[in-house]
Amino acid sequence: MQQIFARWLPAATLATWSAVLLYFHFSQRMQSMLAPEFRIYAMIAAVVLAIMAVCFVIFKGDATCCSSGECGHGLSRLASGKLLTFLVLLVPIAAAARYTPRSGFSKSFVENRGTDTSWQPSFQRAANKSPVENRTPAPVEQPAVTAALPPGGTLDTKKPVDLSLPNKDGTPPAMPPTTPAPAAEKSPTDYLVRTPDGKIVAEVLDLLYAAQDTVLRQDFEGKQVELIGQFMPDSSNNPGANRFKAVRMFMTCCAADARPVATLVESEKLPDFPEMTWVKITGTPSFPIEKGRRISVLKAEKVEKTEPPPEAMIY
Amino acid sequence: MNWFQLEFGDFAQAFLSVLFEGAPFLLLGALISGFVDVFVSSERITKLLPTKPGPAIFLAGALGLIFPICECGSVIIVRRFIRKGLPLSAATAYMLAAPIVSPIVALSTFKAFTGQNPWLMVCLRLGLGYAIAVLVALIVHQLPKNRVAQPGMIGGGARRRTGLSVSGEESAETGTLDFAQIVASASPWRKVMLAIQSATADFLDVAFFFVIGTAITSVFAVGVNREAIAPLAQSPFLSVVSMMVLAALLALCSTTDAFIAATQFPAFSAAAKLAFLLFGPVFDLKLFWLYGLVYRRKFVVCMAIGLFAIIAFICWLWAGMETGAGSPRPSGGTHICLPAQTSLHS
Repeated sequence: MQQIFARWLPAATLATWSAVLLYFHFSQRMQSMLAPEFRIYAMIAAVVLAIMAVCFVIFKGDATCCSSGECGHGLSRLASGKLLTFLVLLVPIAAAARYTPRSGFSKSFVENRGTDTSWQPSFQRAANKSPVENRTPAPVEQPAVTAALPPGGTLDTKKPVDLSLPNKDGTPPAMPPTTPAPAAEKSPTDYLVRTPDGKIVAEVLDLLYAAQDTVLRQDFEGKQVELIGQFMPDSSNNPGANRFKAVRMFMTCCAADARPVATLVESEKLPDFPEMTWVKITGTPSFPIEKGRRISVLKAEKVEKTEPPPEAMIY
Repeated sequence: MNWFQLEFGDFAQAFLSVLFEGAPFLLLGALISGFVDVFVSSERITKLLPTKPGPAIFLAGALGLIFPICECGSVIIVRRFIRKGLPLSAATAYMLAAPIVSPIVALSTFKAFTGQNPWLMVCLRLGLGYAIAVLVALIVHQLPKNRVAQPGMIGGGARRRTGLSVSGEESAETGTLDFAQIVASASPWRKVMLAIQSATADFLDVAFFFVIGTAITSVFAVGVNREAIAPLAQSPFLSVVSMMVLAALLALCSTTDAFIAATQFPAFSAAAKLAFLLFGPVFDLKLFWLYGLVYRRKFVVCMAIGLFAIIAFICWLWAGMETGAGSPRPSGGTHICLPAQTSLHS
């Protein structure tokens, strides 16, 4: 019995924690748990825990320092207490790993957190900690080209830019800049990621930013876009009863602080999907002013069920 | 509006994410603790700080600038340092100040509050965090140690690591060995192993409370409807108090909590956000359990009440100054969102 508490259970606990961390890392599920900058720490912790588990098995020892009462939790002075300690260390993490849904948070979570359907400068501040420094939206008056990438957005800054080139769908560049500037010689629309058939691949945050940024708005308004989000009915901005929300989770550090953000989607007929179903929407963004503020409304031509994207969270 | 609804899947995801975020820091603290246990003697620890308690407390409160660590790791390290002979008061100053008075926290706070008086927020957070930690440490210095610390934390000369039973060397009578004796006679390789073993013991010890605290925190984090607390932002006092309660319930890491405070509570005043940033790193649900490893539960409760009262008072005063005649003004200035944005529920 002493051997179990002294050697095997500590090693098993360390190994279990390590295995859960490694599993989430290699199954890509860590992406829906932690923001990118924290994932490396979790990975290092997993490796160190595994090494410690091996050391513990090889080097016969006893982790139950509390058997002398030094550590303060008297529970573990008894065998039943020690057992309870290890149950607390093992069962919750194993159960949570087993029952954490791959589909992400539920409708209850979204309702509890509330959904932001308007752009907020605070997103910009949160995103500023990202190493991608040029993700800051430009001031409205400036014809920013390189600065118009929102956090979690899909604008590709690595692409070469040429103002003389038309869009891939054959349309002319959306809006020639009004102020001469070196960067303004290139077409802002060429930063956009597109599907093979020429639709702009948009994220929810792209449209929220575009609602508040005249330059970015020009890139999306009236263009055909494809957007993935989670379906949620809408009751607060739905005068014609033909709107729903495409929701994504915006994460600052970890999933516990995730915040739902959404763009409104307008369709002739409301889809009959369960709430929080992942949907791919093809449509045209518009940015009307409602209740005194400009919002984004994606006029849907097609709404279909889809698989969650590789990065279910946006950062 | 239903103020509380909880799905197990949501709880599981939030629970694991906090665990994943905190575990590396917990482990770092445990490893430092383990290696200090084996490689740093009590004598050396006591020489680290001035012998006079006052200067020692003031210096310990600022050590986070050189040895930054978040609150999860600091408890383990402090526990080891106390056992190694560091005065309880100086250890308390470090434990309470290090999660706030650190370059990492200063940087993250500055970046998070860009556009919301970042320098003021950084200076107030670090300055007040330091002052409060030193104040609590000075109070601890005046109290009898046996009323503050857990039995076994003080008077470490006769410490025995009962748990450490090395193969073939344990006492036939008690099954125990004196840890210091083992370390003194160990080879360098074996010392490393002993350090890992000690770190493991510390990690498992603290992880036990970390799991409990994280579980409770996750219930509140995902189960409580945020809209239910929105009306609290209208009152300077209630906004401060509610943000402090929220900080205790959410149990965020001090290295990142500024981003949450700055972005997720636009309706709350800067004073309320400061209260969130000051109280969260020094007390939350998981820390309540972790502090129990070092201090007596009764003291932990008293310390929590004291910290709550002083931080609430300071921030309430500032909230009063911010609002002037009493009407609350959100902190974001021109950045504040329209009121409707907080209530766009389906």
